[in-house]
Amino acid sequence: MIERQLTLIMENKPGALARVVGLFHQRGYNIDSLHVDPIEDFSPYKFIEDELDVKFSIGEVSRLVIKTTVADSLMRQILRQINKLIEVIAVSDEDSTYLKGILRDENLL
Amino acid sequence: MKLAGNDMLIQSLINEGVEYIFGYPGGAALHIYDSIFKQSEMQHILVRHEQGATHAADGYARATGKPGVVMVTSGPGATNAITGIATAFMDSIPMVVISGQVQSHLIGTDAFQETDMIGISRPIVKHSFTVDHQSNIPQIVKEAFHIATSGRQGPVVIDIPKDLTNPDDLFDYEYPEEVNIRSYNPPVKPEATQIERVVDAIFNSKKPVIYAGGGTISSNASKELIELNSYINVPVTNTLMGLGVYPATDDKFLGMLGMHGTYQANMAMHNADLILAIGARFDDRITNTPEKFAPRAQIVHFDVDHSSVSKIIEADIAVFGQVKDSLQAINELIKDRLSELDTTKFDQWHAQISKWKSEHGLNHNLYKDNSDENPILPQAAVQHIYQESKGKAFVTSDVGQHQMFAAQYYHFDEPRKWINSGGLGTMGFGLPSAMGVKLAYPDEEVICITGEGSIQMCIQELSTCSQYKLPIKIFNINNLALGMVKQWQDMNYDGRHSSISYEDSLPDFKELVESYGHVGIKITKNSDLKKGIEEAFSIKDKLVFVDIYVDPNEHVYPMLVAPNGSLKDMWLAKGSKT
Ligand SMILES: Cc1ncc(C[n+]2csc(CCOP(=O)(O)OP(=O)(O)O)c2C)c(N)n1
Ligand SMILES: [Mg+2]
Repeated sequence: MIERQLTLIMENKPGALARVVGLFHQRGYNIDSLHVDPIEDFSPYKFIEDELDVKFSIGEVSRLVIKTTVADSLMRQILRQINKLIEVIAVSDEDSTYLKGILRDENLL
Repeated sequence: MKLAGNDMLIQSLINEGVEYIFGYPGGAALHIYDSIFKQSEMQHILVRHEQGATHAADGYARATGKPGVVMVTSGPGATNAITGIATAFMDSIPMVVISGQVQSHLIGTDAFQETDMIGISRPIVKHSFTVDHQSNIPQIVKEAFHIATSGRQGPVVIDIPKDLTNPDDLFDYEYPEEVNIRSYNPPVKPEATQIERVVDAIFNSKKPVIYAGGGTISSNASKELIELNSYINVPVTNTLMGLGVYPATDDKFLGMLGMHGTYQANMAMHNADLILAIGARFDDRITNTPEKFAPRAQIVHFDVDHSSVSKIIEADIAVFGQVKDSLQAINELIKDRLSELDTTKFDQWHAQISKWKSEHGLNHNLYKDNSDENPILPQAAVQHIYQESKGKAFVTSDVGQHQMFAAQYYHFDEPRKWINSGGLGTMGFGLPSAMGVKLAYPDEEVICITGEGSIQMCIQELSTCSQYKLPIKIFNINNLALGMVKQWQDMNYDGRHSSISYEDSLPDFKELVESYGHVGIKITKNSDLKKGIEEAFSIKDKLVFVDIYVDPNEHVYPMLVAPNGSLKDMWLAKGSKT
């Protein structure tokens, strides 16, 4: 078990954070730390806008960083469960990124 | 067009093509109920308990494939709906539940009938919405239906504060034609390379099995599955949720697998060299001990949900996408390559399976003597129900031994005909879900096979059935106990029967149902079984409740040996194991 860091890009809507936190509890994963703030500079995430053919505006989207200690074998399952949450736009760990249903073999976030 | 929030909500449902709303009114939903009163395009079905509303909507959805719609008030109305929402969630059933909420300015003050419905339901919904402004109502309803019915389906909750349904505040109304949620993308078409790998795997196998579950039904892929097997001609087993997706009377059908699956289905899975898992999720009732599951099999997993694949059992080949699309793609490719496949290479495998079936298939341990000296066997009751309904009925069920006997002995040839709570295992599901099915298909035979324990969990709905004249047939497999619990106590607790008996407190069901205006029939001995069931089927215009007293000591077999067993480890009869 090693500590892993996950990065999520998600809609800044009421209740969205609760869904992510709830999922960790419900599936028996632990959260070591959590940090969330609205994204002000979109330049690193332009690929998401291009990929999904959308334009984000300030205040609409948040970045969430979660540290969690889990068995390696569970990591993929956690990513996939998070990716299923409807307000999550993208989620990455050290190795891969899910961009709404599409898996990439690298950390894009 | 300008409309108030309450009318917008109802007009949006009409625009979605909703036929029935299952619900129960109350303070926070009063404005909405006024809008329901003023329209005539949808019918509201007043249940007797909100749990009944959710199961009825769920039954409607399972039978038709269309989303079920539920309306409840805040507080207790909302919390009463929770069991039904969880039931739909576990089985991926499309449903939209609208809950009234206290006025916006009261939220968070512990107001009368305030409860955090979004919070309480969060772990058991696919998604949920709080309405924050009237002008968003059409968009929210559109998104809710889209989410509920696409990808892996599921229940969606819309919580709406009472002030946002106020009839005096008018706003522009236009129902959106399209929906595009940028953070929600149900999977696209399956990848061609994966499809090729699957076909290669089939062509290289000697002992293949198709293991198809509820996802194949949700995806309406029964036809594609049958077509696939018309080319490759391999054994097929279905999960409890998948029964009917492949015709049970086909000679390649092995019966259900898993906890109470047939001997041949479990043995075939255990010994297979290739498992095609189609819209099935390797539930613990299927795998037994995952580490011992199908030790020699290559696993191909077709699923619409990424998170289902390799969750329990690592897949060797994963095919993401709607099962229907994936099977169509496989069929196309197989048709082109059919000359490469010699299905006689499966002959030995088929012969092995036939041998298993003749050794320990269902029926092997049922005593033949059905004189009145012996109690009625529950299996025999189900066999008669199957024969009398010609195998064509919709059958809902509850949870327990009767459910397993129904799954084993009613042979479903079509999808969406077997309606039961597989994932959550909700007692009380059978009667209200049958109401939803009967409303959807008034001219079809709708049967509920229940137990005297389960039926009492939503028995109040007998009243709803008389109000809306729903001539369902209820067969109560009455073993005077919480039979499935008792079976576990017999097998694992040295027969210590803790809290499974009602002593002498059971109602006389015949008299009870007659007081609602229904017909009651009581069957207590073998010689009356056929006659009584025939009589029930001869009554067309009334609800008939047949109370069948069965052997209180019967167990359901086969049953997987747990813990630490594999799929080949089964109890086959009392005291006899594989
Ligand atoms: C709401 C609910 N509570 C408890 C259970 C646990 N449970 C599973 S089967 C069963 C017994 C059901 O009794 P009955 O309906 O008479 O069916 P039988 O097994 O006797 O055929 C119980 C209590 C459940 N599945 N659902
Ligand atoms: Mg019982």
